[in-house]
Amino acid sequence: MIFTDIALALLSSAILLTSCTGNSGEGMIIITESVSSQGKPDFVTGESWRYLPQTRLLAFNPEHPDESPEIITPDFYSARTPEVSYDGKFLIFAAQQNENEPWQIWEMDLGSLKARQVTSSSDNSIDPAYLPGRRVVFSRLSQNDSLKAGHTLFTCNLDGTDLQRITFNPHTYFAPSVLKDGRVIAISRQVYPYLDEPAIMVLRPDGTKAELFYKGVKGNKPVSRGWETADGRIIFIESENNSYTGGKLVSINYNRPLHSRKDLSQSMEGDFRSVFAMTDGRTLVSYRTSENDLYSIYEFDSENMLLGKKLYSSTTANIIEAVAVYEHERPRKLPSEVDMGVKTGLLLCQNINVTGMSSPETGFSLPLADRIEVIGVDSSLGVVEVEKDGSVYLKVSADMPFRIRTLDAGGKTVNGPGGWYWLRPNERRGCIGCHEDNEMVPTNRYAIAISKDPIVLPVHVSGIKEKKIELE
Amino acid sequence: MKKILLAAGVIAIISIVVFIPGKRWARAHVNYKTATDDHPLKCTDCHAYISKSPLISRLVNRDYFSPVNVTVSGDGKLLFVTAQDADELIVADSEKGEIIKKISVGNKPYGVIIDKAGKKAYVSNQWSDNVSVIDLDNLKVTDTLATGNGPAGMSFSSDEKHLYVVNSYSSDLTVIDLEEGVEKKRLSTGSNPTNIQLSPDGNELYVTARRAAIVPYGEPMATELTVINDNSKRIKTYLSVESAYLMENVAFTPSGDLALVTLIRPKNLIPTLQVERGWMMNHGFGVIEQKGDGRIIQLLIDEPQAYYSDPFDIVITPDGRRAFISSSGVNLITVIDIDSVRQLISESTPEMLSLWSNHLGVSSRYVVKRIPTGANPKGLALSPDGKLLYVAEHLEDRIGVISTESLEMVNTINLGKSHRVTVLRHGRKLLNNAGRTFQNQYSCYTCHPDEHEDGLVYNMASKDMGRNVTNTQSLRDIGDTPPFKWNGKNQTVYKQDGMRFSTVLTRTEQFPYKDLDAITAYIMRGISYPPNLLYNPDGKLTEAQKRGKKIFERTTDNFGNIITENNRCVTCHPAPYYTNLLPADVSTLAASDDSILFDTPHLNNIYASPPYLHDGRANTLEEIWTLYGKDDRHGLAGDMTKIDLNDLVEYLKSLRGPAYEINESKIQRASIRK
Repeated sequence: MIFTDIALALLSSAILLTSCTGNSGEGMIIITESVSSQGKPDFVTGESWRYLPQTRLLAFNPEHPDESPEIITPDFYSARTPEVSYDGKFLIFAAQQNENEPWQIWEMDLGSLKARQVTSSSDNSIDPAYLPGRRVVFSRLSQNDSLKAGHTLFTCNLDGTDLQRITFNPHTYFAPSVLKDGRVIAISRQVYPYLDEPAIMVLRPDGTKAELFYKGVKGNKPVSRGWETADGRIIFIESENNSYTGGKLVSINYNRPLHSRKDLSQSMEGDFRSVFAMTDGRTLVSYRTSENDLYSIYEFDSENMLLGKKLYSSTTANIIEAVAVYEHERPRKLPSEVDMGVKTGLLLCQNINVTGMSSPETGFSLPLADRIEVIGVDSSLGVVEVEKDGSVYLKVSADMPFRIRTLDAGGKTVNGPGGWYWLRPNERRGCIGCHEDNEMVPTNRYAIAISKDPIVLPVHVSGIKEKKIELE
Repeated sequence: MKKILLAAGVIAIISIVVFIPGKRWARAHVNYKTATDDHPLKCTDCHAYISKSPLISRLVNRDYFSPVNVTVSGDGKLLFVTAQDADELIVADSEKGEIIKKISVGNKPYGVIIDKAGKKAYVSNQWSDNVSVIDLDNLKVTDTLATGNGPAGMSFSSDEKHLYVVNSYSSDLTVIDLEEGVEKKRLSTGSNPTNIQLSPDGNELYVTARRAAIVPYGEPMATELTVINDNSKRIKTYLSVESAYLMENVAFTPSGDLALVTLIRPKNLIPTLQVERGWMMNHGFGVIEQKGDGRIIQLLIDEPQAYYSDPFDIVITPDGRRAFISSSGVNLITVIDIDSVRQLISESTPEMLSLWSNHLGVSSRYVVKRIPTGANPKGLALSPDGKLLYVAEHLEDRIGVISTESLEMVNTINLGKSHRVTVLRHGRKLLNNAGRTFQNQYSCYTCHPDEHEDGLVYNMASKDMGRNVTNTQSLRDIGDTPPFKWNGKNQTVYKQDGMRFSTVLTRTEQFPYKDLDAITAYIMRGISYPPNLLYNPDGKLTEAQKRGKKIFERTTDNFGNIITENNRCVTCHPAPYYTNLLPADVSTLAASDDSILFDTPHLNNIYASPPYLHDGRANTLEEIWTLYGKDDRHGLAGDMTKIDLNDLVEYLKSLRGPAYEINESKIQRASIRK
């Protein structure tokens, strides 16, 4: 009897999902329904924000609003953060099979509705996003992490193999998504040595070239996955309230993310919980009119900043996420310079005295520094004198977080320490200065530092046995 | 029946015997050629398009027009378009969008200008070293005027009695007396000049240049803008535009307060660590103030995360409010609000202006719009009333028509009949487009303008920073000169432009194999050297060149001693490519180089590729021996007199493209008047 019920359930699900076009459910909308009460979110641990009990994924056909949505994760205690594959045939999501079990990443065949476990870890894995090349990026809680990180980003193949950690600083990362250019953006927040405001970081899928992408004004924090739109914007939810995870719907331009924030919901009451942008220009949002209301799914005209038709709502549950099932453009598959046989990365700083704090624009100038201290998580990695042109060339142990502060001849701090850096094995990276304007490009100048061998850090390390790198 | 079965069995066995090892061989062959293991096994994908057979080449290729510049008649009714690959000047009706006539001109026409009376058009023929004069009443060539080498941009003198012709290859300027039809003067310009513009007051002409002055690697680079006094026909000054090159075109505001010049700001002195944050190439324009001390301010048209590569032409509306720049590497027209530029300059201190030249965000102050165009927009022209902008869509065989009011494309004028894009044409589009570089920061063309080289030395930091700097090599006629790169590590162009190329250079997804095959086919078979009209116009060597040839081919030194075989020029540099395709140690390894052998470079058209040696340390061919080959390991030279060396260099300069060596009948004609 049970088997008959299961078979019927599967059959009806299959019919539902194939009723639109093809057998992958193209045209359907997958939503996340949250039946539990919304507790106060913890934006550091992710509790009551990224982790919600008793959420489930449902599929409905917006062309047939009269039809009941189909629960597609009936076998899970909680499931959420769905994302559809580029070919529109699969769905990836994070789920907890049973209460008190770790969250894992799962992939579902939208034709058969069969789900397959991607990750298998004793730590929670959440917020998956497809990467080109049949890989996935996701956030995983790193318990007792030696780098003092909270959640870190990982990538792996869709069969769970080739697991790679890609962030190596004392931050916590949530809600990654993939830009069309192939890079990953994610909500990132420094948790050590002090809790900083969250921002959006961008990095390559191999963990190289990590840098700040967007930071809101003080108190505003990104709280949802960002989606890149067809017209070159990234849309996400930004909250100025610590008590709940809803907020304003904002956009930033890919071309100038640090200076193009626009509040798309400025004329609207209520708040948004999530957003989903389709490559054809359509946008879906999870929105509620007030705190007393429940979140429902609406269409949204992001160009004219108008809320559109309500697509789905529930009288008993919040509908907190929606994604459309459709074939869409695959982002670029970026090549990787990472070579795990190499134990270090190289960093060139053009001039440590170039800083945004000291510029002709502000009219303020800092005293000149002539050395830097490179600071690790637990200890100093060394003090290094810079060349007379301010350049410094470092070879740093890979996958190790470090910060830099500039010092004057007397050892007094001039600037910094700044944010956390890391270098992946064999990564080569450059910076123009320290705390410099992010929109500056380097001056075409030969740095004296590269006329010499790089300075190895930590300074106490000697004779690193490196893999011999062939000249290209 | 038995016989049939037997025959079928034999055929099947033979097929199996041949097919299985054949396929295995083909897989190994393709893997070697592409340095991958999954390139499709389809013979025609490569062999049809890199074949040297005239028949196959005819079958798989076709002719195109490739418009490069466009000019509008004084009444705005006619367009004159130089069709570079058709050797034609195309006259079109601007209103009806119809082609009126195609006039055969010289080889590779570049620029076209019309006199004020609308009676004559002048077309510079870059590969013929002359200018075609066209009577506009009957649309026929009536005269041909000799110029210097590689005529490109042109301008009339203010009284229209003289024609200035920029000679892009010989880096000088021809001044032609139009009454007599002869060159009266030759003035030196910056390196590889391309265009010239007369100031609105008629007093001065600005000549742009593309190549930077040669300096030792590590020293700041600069490119010269030449200022000519129209009255005296003399050089007034050379303006040094620092940290910039590839200044293709210049335009004056109607009031004459500013001259704007397109430019690129390369990062060749910085190791190629990353593309992010503008670490490889930046694109912009220079503003030359005409008042005061003539400050030169450089501003970028790039934005954070987005680059608008290879700015080519620039025009300014008659009201002086807007400038249009053809961003040829991204198929866009960049629209500049000139008043905003003025405002920015007026409110900025010199220190801030210096900052802006390296700032990606400041373009939001003056870039009004980016207008999409067809492939590879090059020359621009405005209608006399300034309401329409005509765009020579170089690789689309089309003229785009843009409304300067709505800033939208409102029409297109097709120059040819067929729109079939051949594999080679597709490859050429790829080479000229930045779409396959991370954030569109540069195209192949950027470092290989006109498929040649940009004259710069780069620190391709694939291994360590500050080491193994390399001189950019030309892409012309290299199809039969494997291996590639200075260290010869790439056995084919497929490998050169494959996965490692994307990992260390373009830093984005590699070319799909279809595109890789196309760009490889274009590089191998679609690019040829211009005729060496400067040093060897007709294949007849001068006396000095003949003496130099003997030295090049000699087996004994000046004292009668036998020169060991591997120390003779001709051993490593035999015709037709002047390379034996083998690695060699000629004692040019620098302390900052890894210990490697260098792939023996070809010497075709070597005169056009300074600086020399793998790291560009020799400014001239002479310096290869006078400064750097003193140990006689780069060919025996120690016994030579100064005259011997001069002769050898003269001979080297006479070397032409391989086609001349292989088939003398293909020699291209020089100037008609020469």
